[in-house]
Amino acid sequence: MYPRAFHYHRAGSLKEAVAMLSQLGGEAKLLAGGQSLIPLMKLRFANPGHLIDLNFISGTSFIKEEDGRLRFGAMTRHAEIEDSSAAKKIPILHDCAAGIADVQVRNRGTIGGSLAEADPSGDWATVLMTLHTELHCLGNQGERTVPIEEFIKDAYTTALAHDELVREITVRKPSPNSGGAYLAFKRCAPVYPTASAAVQLTMEGETCREARIVLGCVGLTPIRAKQAESALRGAAVNEKSVSAAVEAARTASDPQPDMRGSAEYKHTLVGALVKRAIDVARRRALGEKVELSHIYA
Amino acid sequence: MTLGEPRRWVGHALPRKEENRLLRGRGKFADDIKLRDMLYLRFIRSPYAHANILSIDVSAAEAVPGVICTLTGAEIVPLTQPFIEIGPDPFAKIKDYPLAVSKARYQGEPVVAVVATSPAIADDAAEVVQIEYEALDPLGDGEQALQDKSLLHEEAGTNRVWNGVFEYGDVDRAFKDAAYIVNIDRLHFHRFSSTPLENNVVIAEWNPKDERIYYSCNNSFPSFAIQFLAAHLNVHIDRIRVETSDIGGSFGIKITSYPQMAVCALASKKAGRPIKWVETRSEHMTSSAHGNERTFRDTRVALAKDGVITAITSRHIDDCGAYPRYEPLGCVIWSQVFPGVYRFKNARIDFMQAVTNKCPVGPNRGYSRMQHLWFLERVVDICAHELGIAPDEMRLRNYVRPEEFPYTTPNGCVYDSGNYPKMLQVAKDLIGWDEWKKKQAAARKEGRLLGIGIGTTLDSGTNNFGQSQIVNPGLPYSGNSQGANCKLDIYGEVVVAVGSCPQGQGHETTAAQVVADVLNIHPDLVTVRTGFDTERNVHTGFSGTYASQFAVSGLSAVHGAAQKLKAEMKRLAAFTLQTKEDDLEFSMGAQGPEVRARGNGKSINYWGLANLVNANTAALPPELYEVTLNCRYIWRAPFKVPDKQKKYGNLTLTYASQLHICVVEVDRETFIPRILDYGAVDDCGTVINPPIVEGQVYGATAHGIGAALMENCVYDAVGNMLTSTFSDYTPITAVNMPAVKYGHIETPSPHSYSGAKGMGEGGAAPIHTISAALQDALFASGIVIADSFNNADSLFRAMVAKEIGQAQKLVRVERRV
Repeated sequence: MYPRAFHYHRAGSLKEAVAMLSQLGGEAKLLAGGQSLIPLMKLRFANPGHLIDLNFISGTSFIKEEDGRLRFGAMTRHAEIEDSSAAKKIPILHDCAAGIADVQVRNRGTIGGSLAEADPSGDWATVLMTLHTELHCLGNQGERTVPIEEFIKDAYTTALAHDELVREITVRKPSPNSGGAYLAFKRCAPVYPTASAAVQLTMEGETCREARIVLGCVGLTPIRAKQAESALRGAAVNEKSVSAAVEAARTASDPQPDMRGSAEYKHTLVGALVKRAIDVARRRALGEKVELSHIYA
Repeated sequence: MTLGEPRRWVGHALPRKEENRLLRGRGKFADDIKLRDMLYLRFIRSPYAHANILSIDVSAAEAVPGVICTLTGAEIVPLTQPFIEIGPDPFAKIKDYPLAVSKARYQGEPVVAVVATSPAIADDAAEVVQIEYEALDPLGDGEQALQDKSLLHEEAGTNRVWNGVFEYGDVDRAFKDAAYIVNIDRLHFHRFSSTPLENNVVIAEWNPKDERIYYSCNNSFPSFAIQFLAAHLNVHIDRIRVETSDIGGSFGIKITSYPQMAVCALASKKAGRPIKWVETRSEHMTSSAHGNERTFRDTRVALAKDGVITAITSRHIDDCGAYPRYEPLGCVIWSQVFPGVYRFKNARIDFMQAVTNKCPVGPNRGYSRMQHLWFLERVVDICAHELGIAPDEMRLRNYVRPEEFPYTTPNGCVYDSGNYPKMLQVAKDLIGWDEWKKKQAAARKEGRLLGIGIGTTLDSGTNNFGQSQIVNPGLPYSGNSQGANCKLDIYGEVVVAVGSCPQGQGHETTAAQVVADVLNIHPDLVTVRTGFDTERNVHTGFSGTYASQFAVSGLSAVHGAAQKLKAEMKRLAAFTLQTKEDDLEFSMGAQGPEVRARGNGKSINYWGLANLVNANTAALPPELYEVTLNCRYIWRAPFKVPDKQKKYGNLTLTYASQLHICVVEVDRETFIPRILDYGAVDDCGTVINPPIVEGQVYGATAHGIGAALMENCVYDAVGNMLTSTFSDYTPITAVNMPAVKYGHIETPSPHSYSGAKGMGEGGAAPIHTISAALQDALFASGIVIADSFNNADSLFRAMVAKEIGQAQKLVRVERRV
């Protein structure tokens, strides 16, 4: 369990990190929280020749509330988001941060690192796709803004160029009559979910005005279940519309069998998770305080 | 004795002496030890489950700066003997070497060892070793292997390790007279392991000066390991020293680390320097040891009209992985609990064991008995549900009755004591059985799937090693023994040494409690030398820590040694104090613990006594020269050699029992089983230290719940192990644990000096209990629980896909009334 030899670089600023990426080329990797990269290096599945450490750059970890948006520095740890009163105002963000792996991982792992890793089972992309989310990416040519939908390209593949990094993530705060929920089934805390469902609903009375339903761990990227959203949009949220949404979500999922479960089971499971997430999202949209935590085996 | 101290320390909730060291992170584990000039070893392992090794090229690895040497199977063959086989011919003909020689037989089998000046360099070098394989079709299943269409070990000519029929009573008659016969096609007990916090670690030094081998390691049965190592390495057993220090769990899995120990010694010989090998978690998962997998075929159960089981016949196929190692001992060890907790007298079990292309098995907690106990609990539950008898009532009708103890089983085992109906009542009270029955009825009306299950098990402890002769009549082992030494040191300190190697069982504490009671002193005044050391001269051929026995074998040895010491102290004190031995009392004086003469009030403290023997010897008369105040005692279990032909005899000394009840609900949408309530009742006879026992019960319960719902060693069709990391294997963690309600009863054992029974393995009670609860939840849906592993996915496959567990396919009832 020892990585191959590598060169370690400590970046003094994000700009310097970008310059290092340009200079060192394809063998260089950024070290954020290290919760994916370090285990992969120890297993020698990842063998970067150069590691650029972002942990000593000041001003990269923050949560700010301004102009109806939440701004997260890319190096903000999951635990900081979990504990943030600003983030708690968007309950689905708290569901996500508080449910990532275990305390040790949450204390080290970062929101930017998780998004840039684009693991098909990662939590953040699934959740942030239910909200209006933009990633501010810094590269050699300067900064550009990429919506989350365009950022995640494929499994482990993002819109980032090799010499580009995520600087900040901004999330537009949903309207007061909007509520969301993120629910996963995990066999135990440290492992990735078997399946997960993120739902954000905007309600007018019992009628759903807007719906976002995103499925996690059941495809190569988070899957937006647009048919499921249509089943709710403009409809009363009742047994009929919910079961139509659940059915559409099941159809949209494209899971692979693995030790977390068979493909058939994951199809069924993701539907059940969507159903429960819809219920909590609806109640939260209507102003109810609902505690939610993942389901563990 | 000061105010507030108990009159007796045995039975007292004394905090563990080990705690101060272990909880502060100041324990000393094998990996904490560094020897001068020590080198680091890395194994290169077979990626194939079954493959011929065509060529090995280590030249690139040996050229890596910092690499000292490599070692291959071909190299060690001329230096060693194949490992001893416990079983008889023809399987004893196999050649088991610690590195694969011409063929690899499971994924993860060590093929080459690389030795370097640092672990990282060894890892670098391991990447450039070139091995050419020719993949062969793997045998992944015991039943398939028994067809002998292809062979793992050509020398044996078969994949069958062992076969024997265990038949007692009049089976045919019982079936002729039966009111019901229940046929169960197939039951399956899955493969899982123990995942101790600390992986295997070996430090070996082959000293060229005196040809002695020193080991510092965490093997949990060193006296067994050195017998294998001495024969393998062609050295006299007394030239091998094994030392253990703190061990972070074993659960039996570390018993079979001797192949790795052998490679480390040979590598040390070649390198001329000490070697350290620290196993990684993935190595531990793929290639340390797994528990035995077992399939139960063609089971027939004869029952009387009232549901009393009168006979069982079945074929059991045990899968021991690629090499038998500790096997085929498991082929007889299950019969320690032949009828489980039940009274049936007639049975015929045709037991066979096969090798497969999987990790070799080791004696995993509950070893070989839990598979059988699970089988019996499934039989009882399936019969109860099929015949419409409540599972608790079914058990009460079939349990051995309290007044029948000591109870002799059909195969001659003597159950020392127990009270299963009382345990059932205590467990019912713990969870509020009647309330749950009402809630269950209400839940069922709402269409919810709620089940209540009972698991009754035995934890047989202190083996009669004579049972090994049932699997191989030529073996020279019988009975059981343990050694201890108790002394007054030069300055009068009480020091105890035991031949055990505890891994969290609190031996330092309980040994001190026993000595404290003998000498009437505080346990803090007793120093316990913990950990195993062959040079301490306290071990016997069976010393180690395994198989639920320390409370009986270990503490009986400690008790014997302490009494021997006390007798010597009395002789000395009677001389010095000019009084008779029966006039003496042991107490606490102003100058420490002392011996006092009641008649004349004179006393001598422990230092004074020790000084007479060691440093004031002219004051000692020659008739007391034989007194050394250094007393070794060997405890021997009162066993006879079993009848090998009839497979009859007492195989274990004590039978602790466990009764668990669990309430489980299967979610209709997610199929996730959730434990709503859990009660665990334990009876290990007289309890020596209540918190230690309670802790062991919680640990065994967690382990069992994990095994029942989360932990499964899965291989794919070509023999890849799919659960080689914790992300895939998911050992149970705190978030998965229900709040366990603990209860206990005490039925003292007549077979141990203190009334205590060995405990700790726990009979895998949760596996039986959860299977029972799930079946109770799902039987109305036409499902029987036929596998010991059940998770959301498998329940989905039973209920929706109807792939597994369909009662109509698995169970057939013949009704004759």
